[in-house]
Amino acid sequence: MQRDLEQPAALTHLLRELPDAAVPPYGWYEFKHRAAQHAVVRPARSATRALAALTVMAVLIVAVDLRVDPPTQQARWPQPVPRAALATREPSAVRGATTAAPGAGVAFSAARTEMLERWLASLPDNPALVQVGPRAAVTGLEDRLAQVDDLLTAERFEQARPAHLLALQQERRLLVSSLAQVRYAEELVDESR
Amino acid sequence: MRRLGDIVVDEALLEDARAGREPAQRALYETLAPATASLIRRLVGHRALAEDIFQDTMMIFFERLPEFRREAPLGAWLRRIAVTRCLMYLRSPWQRARLCLEPVDCGVAAEVAALITPGYTGELIDLERALATLTPTARAVVWMYEVEGYSHEEIAHEFGRSVSFSKSQLARAHQRLHNWFMSAEQRPTCSVI
Repeated sequence: MQRDLEQPAALTHLLRELPDAAVPPYGWYEFKHRAAQHAVVRPARSATRALAALTVMAVLIVAVDLRVDPPTQQARWPQPVPRAALATREPSAVRGATTAAPGAGVAFSAARTEMLERWLASLPDNPALVQVGPRAAVTGLEDRLAQVDDLLTAERFEQARPAHLLALQQERRLLVSSLAQVRYAEELVDESR
Repeated sequence: MRRLGDIVVDEALLEDARAGREPAQRALYETLAPATASLIRRLVGHRALAEDIFQDTMMIFFERLPEFRREAPLGAWLRRIAVTRCLMYLRSPWQRARLCLEPVDCGVAAEVAALITPGYTGELIDLERALATLTPTARAVVWMYEVEGYSHEEIAHEFGRSVSFSKSQLARAHQRLHNWFMSAEQRPTCSVI
């Protein structure tokens, strides 16, 4: 055997010399029987595959939908440092704000504003280190917020123009949201130092 | 070894089988099945799986028999079906994952017992054991090239790989088989047999 394999064509010769199995693994009737079983199993298998394919497609659609939706929300939030490091400090109100659906109702919007306000109130008035750019934005927003609050008080007192009152409330919500975002960014910058 | 591609079938028998006459189909099965089963078992190396692929192959063969256009001998046509089914299995990710988990170079591999054809003795068993030490891909390449007479281009086409893949697989398999027989005296006796 050893000598045989040293010749170039020896392996070919040896392999071709191997005899076939004398009989098939099973006879004709067993083959027919198995074929009949396959015929029954095949439609069930294809139905299972179709169901699995549909499930995978549904999961993919949901995953794509979830991936596409959040960036419009997240884009509002500046993320100068990895947020995971600050996740413990981030108030639940802000986390809720980032994942809120854009088409949420007025009640949700009011509740969110209220939570953001509470969070803003819990922050120290002035950070230890002040950067002029963000600070100017914070001051500007706070000034505008105070002005809108005055106008709102006057409008509520007069109760003459409900549409104007609604517009002011809407503007106030946006201002609070913007202020929360800027303060949050400020916090992140502080943490990264 | 009677190669599947060399089997010639009587025209009248073939016509009867194509017409769906069961006695002719049975005769055809008994003529072609042993060589088909041997080929599949050589290529796949796993007895239970080889039986499944054999069943699939023969079912496809009888389903498509009315479409047979006599462009090649019937045996070669059936061989093509069998090889395609086997390579589908060998190329599947499941099979690749299984191969990663299994030891390749074990003298008394678990598959040896399955691969050895009942009734073999002496040198033939040695050759079977040597073949069993090859990876399924290498074994398939060796078998297709050395026994079935495929060219490197045809093997590359069947595997969807380059010609150099086929050549390198064959060269490495030759080397491995050569080493196997060179070190035969140092190996322990095969307890599986």
